[in-house]
This record gives sequence, structure tokens and C-alpha cells, in this order.
Amino acid sequence: MRFKNFLLMLMFAFAALSITVQASEHAQEKVVDRKAVEESTFVSKGIGDMLVSFYDTTGLKAIIEPKEGVTNGEGEEMSIFAQGWGRVMMFAIIFLLFYLAIAKGFEPLLLLPIAFGGLLANIPIANMTGPHGMLGIIYNMGIANEFFPLLIFMGVGAMTDFGPLLSRPKTALLGGAAQFGIFGSLVGAAALSQYTGMVDFTLKQCSAISIIGGADGPTSIFIASALAPELLGAIAVAAYSYMALVPVIQPPIMRALTTKEERQIVMKTTRKVNKLEKLLFPLVVIVMTILVLPDATPLIGSFAFGNFAKESGVVDRLSNEMQNSLINIVTIFLGLGVGSKLASDKFLVMETLGIMIIGLLAFAAGTAAGVLMAKIMNKFSDEPINPLIGAAGVSAVPMAARVVSKVGSEEKPGNILLMHAMGPNVAGVIGSAVAAGVLLSIFK
Amino acid sequence: MEINLVSEGLKFMVLGMIVVFVFLAVLVELMKLQAKLIAKYFPEKEPEAKMQAPRVPATDEASRTAAIIAAIAEFKKNKS
Repeated sequence: MRFKNFLLMLMFAFAALSITVQASEHAQEKVVDRKAVEESTFVSKGIGDMLVSFYDTTGLKAIIEPKEGVTNGEGEEMSIFAQGWGRVMMFAIIFLLFYLAIAKGFEPLLLLPIAFGGLLANIPIANMTGPHGMLGIIYNMGIANEFFPLLIFMGVGAMTDFGPLLSRPKTALLGGAAQFGIFGSLVGAAALSQYTGMVDFTLKQCSAISIIGGADGPTSIFIASALAPELLGAIAVAAYSYMALVPVIQPPIMRALTTKEERQIVMKTTRKVNKLEKLLFPLVVIVMTILVLPDATPLIGSFAFGNFAKESGVVDRLSNEMQNSLINIVTIFLGLGVGSKLASDKFLVMETLGIMIIGLLAFAAGTAAGVLMAKIMNKFSDEPINPLIGAAGVSAVPMAARVVSKVGSEEKPGNILLMHAMGPNVAGVIGSAVAAGVLLSIFK
Repeated sequence: MEINLVSEGLKFMVLGMIVVFVFLAVLVELMKLQAKLIAKYFPEKEPEAKMQAPRVPATDEASRTAAIIAAIAEFKKNKS
């Protein structure tokens, strides 16, 4: 009974205090002064004073009473807006991301860790994004130095089967055409900052944003952390959100650019691929990369390593590790690390809106270019090619190929395009890695 | 000097698309060449593997049947 009374008393005291504290600004300054003295000797205080100084350390106060001169984890000063309303808005955005990941199933493997990282990054006072905070440590460990995306690429390589591509090599060109999404949106981003006063992107930032058009999460993060780390959070969120939206964004574009007859084209079954071809393919790719574009070797090299380990057939233990545990662990770190860039002072800027718009255009342009290229190929090819598979040239593996297959079978039940679409799809991964290498080499 | 971002972007686009296409076109030719060479010089790999494959389970199956028969025989012998 006595304990209950005590609790009640505390609650009343706290309520009364929080009102008086808000009323008297100068009283706080005294508290701050006293803190400086306290460092040397601990001064005994009454319970009222202790409650006041405890309230000063709560997140509640940091959010509802932002102060000038408060620094974020990296020691930069935060604006009043970023400390208060900015954080509240970020919490709302993060809950939207949670909703999309859990209820709508939008790339939950990445959006969930990214959103949770964002939640942690917006906690006041804890400074988790600083060099000694958990998120800061993760970020510096593998994202600032571009390491985690490469590990992901290794796992993706170990999961990729180049069989469909090898059985019909020329579909690789569709994976090239879809990279128009990257370069087209580069021009778009440049035009946006040149001719409208909305945003002010540098060429490096434009390049980093445009890579969203490659529809490749790890490549986007790799390029963003190399060229424009300050935009990383927005770029990663845009890339993964749009990858999740592939089934929504692509079909209308695919239908608009093709006729009904074209969509109903049935493709010949692919030939069986010799095992030796699959084994040699990653080596061919890596040798070409070394000769033509050494800047892309980190990406393509780790991709080829993963694939070579899988196709060799003698290191199943390693390839299984890359496909499962390793990629899972890295995904956790990658998500949290990227989430650290969702802090309100970094994310709630005009640039984020620009990135979202350009990212969407990039995706649409890539899909359109792939479909148009497939139409041209169909005209000049001796065997029929369904133009729909061009849309799979964006490298969202295997989502884009699945979407193609779905649209194809809606047009003509029983027409399974999945394996035909996987060719351009995996070529798209190589294509966007090459495009990334070109962008890196320009800024050397 | 003030640079025009759009014209720079267009230059990037030309360079990038050329490199991506040339890279993939060469890759396509290499894939075709590789397929031809492998079909010519190492063609029999797959059928061989297939011919061996059924044999192994067959002998395995036979030996298992033999073991079962032997076990039953033994069981009957003990019973009587």
C-alpha cells in the first residue's frame, strides 16, 4: 500500500515538474551550469532536482523542446526542425515502411532492417549513428568502404543460373538496352538541377541517383557510397521500394509498348546447356571485365566468384554458405547500416523527393528501352522473340522475369516465358554492373 | 567555368550505353564461340554421365534385394 502511494506521489510530482520546467527557461540554464561543476564532485540534490535533471535526459524533452546547438552522432549541428518535428515525421515514414514490408510484402528482407535502422537512427541523445554508436560502427565497417554490397553480390552470383542466357546468348543485349534507364535518368537528374531550382545535384550525385534505374540494390548502394554517400539513405530506400514495386510499375509500360499479337508470341524451347559452358562463363566475364573495365571488377569479380564456386560443383559447402548464412548476415548489417542514413537531418531534404521522382522515371525508362529493343530484335531475328522479355532486362532478379512470365501467361495461357526472361534478367545484372563501372571510371 | 550538367549527362549516356552494348555484344559472341568449341571438343560429357547414372542405383537395388532375401532366409532358418 505504501509503495503504491509513493508511486502516485512520484507521478504527480513529475507532472507538476514538467509543466514548471517548460515555463521557466532560465531554470534549465542553471541545471546546465551545475552539470559542469558536477563532473568533479558529486553534489547531493533533492529528489525534485534529480527528477528535473532526469527529465533533461529523456527523449521526450529532446523531441518536444529542441535546442540550438545540439549535435548529431557525427558531430554536425542539427536544426530545430530536424530535432523535433523532423523526427516525428521520420517515425511516421518508418512505420509506413514497416507496413509496406510486413502487410504488403515489399522486399521485407531489406526494407524491414532498413526501416528499423532508421528508427534507431532517429532516437535522440543516444547518438547511435556516431562513430561509437552501433549503427555508426556497422556503417563504417562495411558500407562506407563499399564492402557489404560486394558480399551480397557474391551470394547473388552463387544463386544465379546462367543456363537460360547461355542457351540463347543474344538476349543478353536486352539486358544492355534496359541500362538506358540508368543513363536516361542521369540526364533527367541533370536537367532537374540545371533548369529547375528544386534541387542542386552535382554530376556525381546525378550518377549515384541514376543507378536506381539499374534496379539493382547492392549496385545502387555500392555506387552511392562511392560517389554520393550523403544521399545513400534516400537512394537505397528508393531502389528497394521500386524493386518491390516492379509488379506494379512494369506491366502497364509493357502493355503500352506492345501489340496483342506480339505479347502472344510463343518462343522455342531453349537448348540444353553443357555443364562446361556454365563453368567457363564466369571466367569469360571476369577476363573481359579485367581487359575492358577494371573499375567494375569489385562487383563483377565477386559475382563471378560466387557463380564459379556454385558451378564448379566441388565446393558446395562454400557456395551454400554464400547463398544462405553469409548473405543473410550481410543483409542484416546492410539494412541497419543503410537505415542509419534515415536520420531526420539527412533524409528530410528536398533532394529525397527529387531522388524518388528520378528513380521512378529511371525504372520506367529501363523497362521501356528493354521492351523496344526486344521488338527490334523480334523483327530481325529468324526465331520469334516475345517483346515482353525485354522488360526483364532491368536486373531485379528474379522479380522482373516473374512479372514478364505472369503478363505473358495472362495474354496466352500456357505460354511460359519465365526461362526465356531469365536470360535478359541475369544479363541485366552484368549490364548494370558494367554501367556502374563506367560511372566509377568517369569520376576517377 | 560553368559546365552544363545536361550536356555532360548526355556525354555520359553516350559513353555508358556504348560501353554496355559493346561489352554485352562481345560477351554474346564469346558465348556462341564457347558453345561451338565445347560442342566440338567436349561433346560426350553429358551422355556418359547419364549412362553411368542408372547403373549405380541398379546395382545398389540388386544388392539390397539380395540382402533382404538373405535376411528372410536366415529368419526362416532360425524359426524352423
